[in-house]
Amino acid sequence: MALAAPPPARGHGLRRALAPYALISPTLLLLATFLLFPVGSVLYYALQHHVVNEPYDDAFVGLANFRQMFGDEQFWSSLAFSAKWVFAEVMLQLLLGLALALIVNETFVGRAVARALVFSPWAVSGVLTTSIWMLLYNPATGVFHYLAELGVGNAGTSVLGNPDTVFSAAVVAELWRGVPFFAILILADLQSVPKELYEAASMDGAGRVRTFLHVTLPHLRDAIVLATLLRSVWEFNNVDLLYTLTNGGPAGATTSLPLYVAQLARKSYDFGYGSALTTAAFVILLFCSVLYLRLSKFGREK
Amino acid sequence: MTAAAPRATGRVLRLFLPLALYLVFTVVPFYWMLLFALRPAGSTSLLPWPLTFEHFDTVWNGMGFRVYFQNSVWIALLTLVFVTFFALMGGYALARFKFRGQRAFLLALLCTQFVPGAMMLIPLFNIFQTFDLINSRWSLIIAETTFQLPLAMILMSGFVRNVPVELEESAMMDGCGRIRAFLAVVLPLLRPGIVAVGSFAFIGSWNNFLFALMFLNDPELQTVPVGLQTTIGENTVDFGALAAGGVVAAVPVVLVFAFVQKYLVQGMSTGAVKG
Amino acid sequence: MSRTLRTTAAALAALGLLTACGSSGSSSDSGGKTTITFWDNNAGPARTPLYQKLIADFEKANPTITVKYVGVTSAEVAEKYNTAIASNSTPDVGGVTTALLASLTAQKALDPLDERYAKSALNGKIAANFLEISKSASGGKGLFQLPSSGNQDVIWYRADKFKEAGLSAPKTWDELFAAAAKLTDKGKNQYGFTIRGGAGSGFQVLSEAYAYSGLTTMFDAAGKSTVDDPKNVALIEKIAAQYKATTPEADVSNAYPQMLAQFQANQVMMVHHNLGSTRDVKTALGDKVAGFLLPAGPDGTSVLANPVDGFSLFKNSKHKDAAWKFVEFLDSHEANSYWNQNVGQIPANTEAYADEWYTTSGITKQAGDSLNSPTTKLVQPPVYLPQYSKITKTDAEPNFQKVLLGKTSAADFAKSVADAFTKAQADYQAKNK
Repeated sequence: MALAAPPPARGHGLRRALAPYALISPTLLLLATFLLFPVGSVLYYALQHHVVNEPYDDAFVGLANFRQMFGDEQFWSSLAFSAKWVFAEVMLQLLLGLALALIVNETFVGRAVARALVFSPWAVSGVLTTSIWMLLYNPATGVFHYLAELGVGNAGTSVLGNPDTVFSAAVVAELWRGVPFFAILILADLQSVPKELYEAASMDGAGRVRTFLHVTLPHLRDAIVLATLLRSVWEFNNVDLLYTLTNGGPAGATTSLPLYVAQLARKSYDFGYGSALTTAAFVILLFCSVLYLRLSKFGREK
Repeated sequence: MTAAAPRATGRVLRLFLPLALYLVFTVVPFYWMLLFALRPAGSTSLLPWPLTFEHFDTVWNGMGFRVYFQNSVWIALLTLVFVTFFALMGGYALARFKFRGQRAFLLALLCTQFVPGAMMLIPLFNIFQTFDLINSRWSLIIAETTFQLPLAMILMSGFVRNVPVELEESAMMDGCGRIRAFLAVVLPLLRPGIVAVGSFAFIGSWNNFLFALMFLNDPELQTVPVGLQTTIGENTVDFGALAAGGVVAAVPVVLVFAFVQKYLVQGMSTGAVKG
Repeated sequence: MSRTLRTTAAALAALGLLTACGSSGSSSDSGGKTTITFWDNNAGPARTPLYQKLIADFEKANPTITVKYVGVTSAEVAEKYNTAIASNSTPDVGGVTTALLASLTAQKALDPLDERYAKSALNGKIAANFLEISKSASGGKGLFQLPSSGNQDVIWYRADKFKEAGLSAPKTWDELFAAAAKLTDKGKNQYGFTIRGGAGSGFQVLSEAYAYSGLTTMFDAAGKSTVDDPKNVALIEKIAAQYKATTPEADVSNAYPQMLAQFQANQVMMVHHNLGSTRDVKTALGDKVAGFLLPAGPDGTSVLANPVDGFSLFKNSKHKDAAWKFVEFLDSHEANSYWNQNVGQIPANTEAYADEWYTTSGITKQAGDSLNSPTTKLVQPPVYLPQYSKITKTDAEPNFQKVLLGKTSAADFAKSVADAFTKAQADYQAKNK
């Protein structure tokens, strides 16, 4: 992240020096109390055996939870699922978001309405997204019944019950809500492409595709890197949708790592091991993010 | 045949066809929810006809959504105010000052994005218990403010940076103090930023489910997402009520969003995000 | 600087507001009035109004006590209680099913009720079998929950469609499967039966297995789990064979609400649940629906005891007497009868057994008679094991889905559940010698 522009040269030395700290102090206070402390307690519990309804067994166990993790088949399979989920979601959201941004960046009648409509699912929560898509997917209430009447498919189709389709079904529901985020970010950046660049390209006789590849895309690079990074982290951490839509099933086919942790905490009451997995997820995310920023040369001049 | 015809066809294929397809994808789920909310229970018609408002009556009056709705509005509005205010302060500091620890602070702000809110529940609960804030709306407002502030502040600093520093300097040359220069010159130019950050905060707070579920007990304090959950009992699911509750939950944020999205598009360029 | 000061002052004032607005703990006294907090452990559109009426009645009869109702849905209640215990913010009194009882007593959150019950006017009126189930559920160390309502597994069926097809309610599992096959017409998207593959599947399939096998205990004399007994495995195999043959594809991820939705949409002819849904199926389908108890296998049948609902007093309560008074009221003849009548479950207060609604209730009375009969072979699930929820939910549910999808065998599934139970039981007994 590039740092501050030079500050205006005015004001007394001491006041100037203290001003920024005064300005960030409320935030620091909030973060330290309501974020740092909880994070610390997760780290603490990661080293404890702590199952809520077996309080008599609570004890410091060092790294035992982490050792258990390495041998835990479900940890690895849920981690693999998370990777697959994040990759599919972010790639598709990026591609569709980019396409959508390019479309609504054109001038046409009704553009404002079209924008408002296609962006609107972004405002809907994960839990509500589930309610809506459950209605659509459920064989008793959903669209398949009507499609079958038109001769398409089978009325009894259950996309969430079939391990071959559940992944795509969940991905589509999350796309519905996730694409607008990319579309908005990219659209914002599209509007800041200097007009002269397009004019120059058109003078050179560049076609639509070449202009896009050589002018538009490079300009969007940082926006894309940042959006994909933030989105990857959010998609990784988000449990709402999968928890309520598929509950990780069928047969564990859609259990992501945070969902596995949530199940450990809520049904097995195992907070010690759950905390250890959370810590591991945090480290993995941090490592991947740094790597990604390095590899993508984020923020460097083109 | 004029020369314009193939160009028009190209435009339809390139622009309107994909847009129409995408609109179907966006709108059908909303329509499905409205359909269940507006047609009588048991109906299988694809049109909400005969039209009924009984499901809205069920959730609004029978299931307490009237109260939930008011609570959600207040909590989301107060979160909006706190997040925007603190983000303005911190965002200004990040954009206009160079100070020791700035990089570390920025890094800390970014790292907060890696923290999964769900695992923070128990420790947060204990903290609020210490402050005697369990079963108080303030627990939600504080938790939401804390979790949304980091990104809001980074965004806001980008917006501040986009305001040319010379404007502020010239105002200060004219004898304004820094604060007056900020209020008179910078703040009006930050309107898209404030709208963007504020609407993010409002929507995020409106949609939160887990915090409300855990920190509030009193039904008089509960929020819409938790109310939505109670339309699905262990033994029943009332699809009409579920959908009507969904409409109540979706309408405010979708409306807010439809109104502010043009500011978002204006303000959220990477310039704003990375400075 | 004055502006900065003013801003800071405003921020501080806001912080001051925060503390001023914080409402406080679970209960309070004011002006000779006692307020107690009551958590409903299965709140929802159907049940919440029942408690609201009963609370109003109670407050009228006891003007010095105010009851604060907090509705929690059954899916969230365990986490809500655990969090409350961890931070000393439990209610005065709460609904607790026997499935959750051991977890709460292990955390030493509940007050024993033996003495209060012995001295109460209710003594002797609460069904003996219910008290037995409750005591067994908390590990046999006393009474920590006053039962209020019993439940039993039933299978709801479309009486109208059965009649049309010339079928009667099945008495054995083989009859049930034959009826399911006869009523299945995939072309019309109509299925004879439905399997619970989603949340709650673990208990459901076990209760089906024991109904078929007729085994009477969860553990043999050596402490080994009987879940993987060949007779249990045989039934699980038969159930799995129904999947997609006489049941919808969606079964594998359906929990009860989705199964009910298909039942109501005329897509499914029989659905296995329990008395808890009596009211819902009757409102939706009226006379078209009837129920029967789980059918028998070749060697007779057993009943896997369903969780018994009831009320517990929390140790941290400062108003245990007032809270107990409320519990006594809820379990009194009139209130207990009212609640169970409206839900369709079996009253714990035996005085209600003479009430007209109960004697004419059909399936509820049938289930109640079975539950209270000394000849019924009642199997107690080991809900006292701390890992019970982990074994039957976290581990068993995805595994049972694998059985339905043909990715693992019924025998392997039963063995994994049995092994986990055997180990947990051994640990438990080692700790409680």
